[in-house]
Amino acid sequence: MNLKHLAIGVVCSLGSIPVVGLLLQQLAEAAPNDIFFGWDFYIEVVVTGLLQGVMYALVALGFVLIFKASAIFNFAQGAMVLFAALAMVGFIEMGLHWTLAFLLAAVVMIIVAILIERVVLRPMVNQEPIILFMATIGIFFVLDGLGQTIWGSNVKALDIGISQTPWFVLQGEFFPGGLRLIPTEVVAAVVGALTVTLLAVLFQYTKVGRALRAVADDHQAALSVGIPLKFIWAIVWSVAGIVGLVAGVMWGTSLGVQFSLSLIALKALPVLILGGFTSIPGAIVGGLIVGVGEQVGEVFIGPLFGGAIQDWFAYMLAMIFLLFRPQGLFGERIIERV
Amino acid sequence: MNDISSQIPAEAAGTRQPERRFGEPLLTVENISLSFGGLQALTDISFDILEQEIRAIIGPNGAGKTSMLNVINGFYHPQKGTITYKGNIRRTMRPHMAAAQGIARTFQNVALFKGMSTLDNIMTGRLLKMHNLRAPETGVFGLDQVLRWGAGALDFVTQCLYWGPNEKEETRQRAYCEEIVDFLEIQAIRKTPVGRLPYGLQKRVELARALAMEPELLLLDEPMAGMNVEEKEDMSRFILDVNEEFGTTVALIEHDMGVVMDISDRVVVLDYGRKLADGRPDEVRSDRGVIDAYLGVAH
Amino acid sequence: MFYREAGQFKTSYAADQAIYPIRQDKIGILILFGFSLLAIPFIAPIYWLNSILIPFLIFSLAALGLNILTGYCGQLSLGTGGFMACGAFFSYKLATAMPDTNILIVFLLAGLGTALVGVLFGLPSLRIKGFYLAVATLAAQFFLIWMFNKFSWWTNHSPSGVISAPPRAVFGDIDVTSASASPEAKYVFLLLLVSFLALIAKNMVRSRIGRSWMAIRDMDIAAEIIGIRPMLAKLSAFAVSSFFIGVSGALWAFTYSGSVEALAFEINRSFEVLFMIIIGGLGAIMGSFLGAAFIVLLPIALDTIPLLLGLPLSVETVAHLRLIIFGALIIFFLIVEPHGLARLWQIGKEKLRLWPFPY
Repeated sequence: MNLKHLAIGVVCSLGSIPVVGLLLQQLAEAAPNDIFFGWDFYIEVVVTGLLQGVMYALVALGFVLIFKASAIFNFAQGAMVLFAALAMVGFIEMGLHWTLAFLLAAVVMIIVAILIERVVLRPMVNQEPIILFMATIGIFFVLDGLGQTIWGSNVKALDIGISQTPWFVLQGEFFPGGLRLIPTEVVAAVVGALTVTLLAVLFQYTKVGRALRAVADDHQAALSVGIPLKFIWAIVWSVAGIVGLVAGVMWGTSLGVQFSLSLIALKALPVLILGGFTSIPGAIVGGLIVGVGEQVGEVFIGPLFGGAIQDWFAYMLAMIFLLFRPQGLFGERIIERV
Repeated sequence: MNDISSQIPAEAAGTRQPERRFGEPLLTVENISLSFGGLQALTDISFDILEQEIRAIIGPNGAGKTSMLNVINGFYHPQKGTITYKGNIRRTMRPHMAAAQGIARTFQNVALFKGMSTLDNIMTGRLLKMHNLRAPETGVFGLDQVLRWGAGALDFVTQCLYWGPNEKEETRQRAYCEEIVDFLEIQAIRKTPVGRLPYGLQKRVELARALAMEPELLLLDEPMAGMNVEEKEDMSRFILDVNEEFGTTVALIEHDMGVVMDISDRVVVLDYGRKLADGRPDEVRSDRGVIDAYLGVAH
Repeated sequence: MFYREAGQFKTSYAADQAIYPIRQDKIGILILFGFSLLAIPFIAPIYWLNSILIPFLIFSLAALGLNILTGYCGQLSLGTGGFMACGAFFSYKLATAMPDTNILIVFLLAGLGTALVGVLFGLPSLRIKGFYLAVATLAAQFFLIWMFNKFSWWTNHSPSGVISAPPRAVFGDIDVTSASASPEAKYVFLLLLVSFLALIAKNMVRSRIGRSWMAIRDMDIAAEIIGIRPMLAKLSAFAVSSFFIGVSGALWAFTYSGSVEALAFEINRSFEVLFMIIIGGLGAIMGSFLGAAFIVLLPIALDTIPLLLGLPLSVETVAHLRLIIFGALIIFFLIVEPHGLARLWQIGKEKLRLWPFPY
């Protein structure tokens, strides 16, 4: 694909880390009361941001999959994350081992995907994108309500055997206390990387993958060469549901499974506009940028504004970015035709 | 240049005179080159369009015809070359500026406002001509601008209230639009949403919208694509009438060679973004390069 | 039988361009308006006025505003809640800073302020379209709510972050704001104000400015090529839309709830208003009212039905069921009539025109 773009994106992102660091150092000297800056501390914040970013990217991946295959902006992805996590916690509470619970929750997500395809998407083929988008908001409400009706609305812990005590690595001259890492986040990063690789292989090298790419390109044309559109949609929504489950497990272990999970998913939106709605590598790099940007912003710039700028910082970042590059990081330059 | 005359047989051209005289060049493009990234869409194109003539641009698919029109109305910006319009060399501009200078356009794939009725589509074409209020010109530096803003604000208020000047202006412009409706014989569909109209009529409404702009230069991108013979005859008649009655200069892209040869005064032929030939229809028809391009003889 | 336009011939373009070219429509709307103004305040119970009619009118105004932007100009926005908050807090600051100013002027200024904010956040629309823009408007939503929450200056340093609308009067001494005003007075005030603004919206969409919005919505490239300046058209839609939404936010704070905090205008509020225009009908003034009525009445109906059936459900379960039914109804609606209630109304009228003869 556009490996060149990817390479440029990665190099630029990496390159900006020390530049931003230097700027922040200047800022800290200018306002020493509000901001504390140290290079080791900065790196630690960046690493935390990167790991956080992988989690955002996992949620964003689900959006990208569905948008690629059906041009639907699936607002319900967040609710799917919550629903999947709730289902898994529900199975664990029934006394099952977490691996078994994970598999069963995956089955639940497949059933949900098939139902969505049958009940919602099929009657709405050929509707305008905004109408389909609204329908996914409807799905959002249904899944939210259903999940809480079945499994209750209190916060639940999700334990899959990862310790919560932070690790301290790379102890030495540069990091006197060691670099602090949260195990959950490290696991999430590894799982995220694995998921992406798996999806890339699925898209690139299997028959279903080729059909998916065909559908993504042009529904009508795909249909006319005999690709079963409905089946493909069911598959895509299932895969998105399972990716949502993975994301839900990761978020659930670090924050607990609760209603706010479905809103955290909104953070995946700026990730999407940074990376482009249809680019899987874009979702990853976008996630990392948002994760780091948000952490760094909150820790070093937030104090100037009284903190809690996390609510909107990612959106502003994405919006300002779009003003300069409307097609996102990895989108081709848009040439309008008439 | 003033003595170029068309050699069209009188019966094909309807009522027009076989001998016509044209004015000065209305638009001259010189050495235009346009590329998208590595793709060269137009290379070193030069031609002119004379006042009151019907100028056809032809060529095989992908020859760069539509890109040429896009350059003319400011939608694409060529990397090289100059465009002279009404005697002034044009700087880089946006399409709406071209519209303000009197360049109207129809599209290859009908680009009507689908949610609006036929009449609203045509009225939208009048937007540039509608003024509820006009600021007086005082000639005092700075004051004129302030007055214009004031008039704009008042204009907005009259639109909110649909009162006085606004109602008068709407009615006046409606009358003009009705003339176009009559001219193009689309009275029966004036209140129909254009999305419901058949293709041939949509093309006609699009022409009506372009005419509502009272253009000096009318660009038509395949006005007859996908039409049957009768619809093509109608459309040809309309184009000739527009040219005749309003004295509008027309530049059109068309694939139907019969139509092109019949209605156009001069033809420019493009292929692979280069100019292949330029001249009267009969000259172009017998040009070796043109025949090769169309019949696919090895270059 | 009674709904005929046969025999009503128009002899001028002005008559043909009237809002209600059909006589029966004109009479119908006048009767409806007269009834709402002269009868309802006297016969409707207080509960109806406070919990149904007043929020209905305020939501209608917000929906009208969003419909101008999304339905007429085609720019999807998820920042409605943020702009409502702007209207509420701007008017609060103005009303408390200038206690002697007429409240209508306060609302006007608050609306204009919101329009300015709207234009600012509308700037990205010049470069991006569709869902990208929708996400960009979320920036407005989150940023504005954060700002009103974070800086106590906006609430005159109220410790709870809640603002309480001061009582203000119109027409001399009739109180129309704050909890102390009588519901009847508030209702009549809102009815007049909202009707007036709706009339303005209707006039705009059938004038030049409205046509330029619709042209941008339907085919932005063609619009530019016939001479519409996309920047002017889009930003004016953002301004007008935000003005309406801002005024509705101000009315929310001043007449409906009396006291309000920034969190009342969260992202869910944005979705609520978006649902109204989708269900009511995009690009239809009438649709904004129908949609607002639907969304205001739906939760009340959902709360009442289990009571009537005598089902012993816990409050929590009812809340969750409400979510499910709400979502399902929206999906159902979109499947059955994606163009909303306004389209159904249109179809109904066309049927009625022919009734009882089939042709």
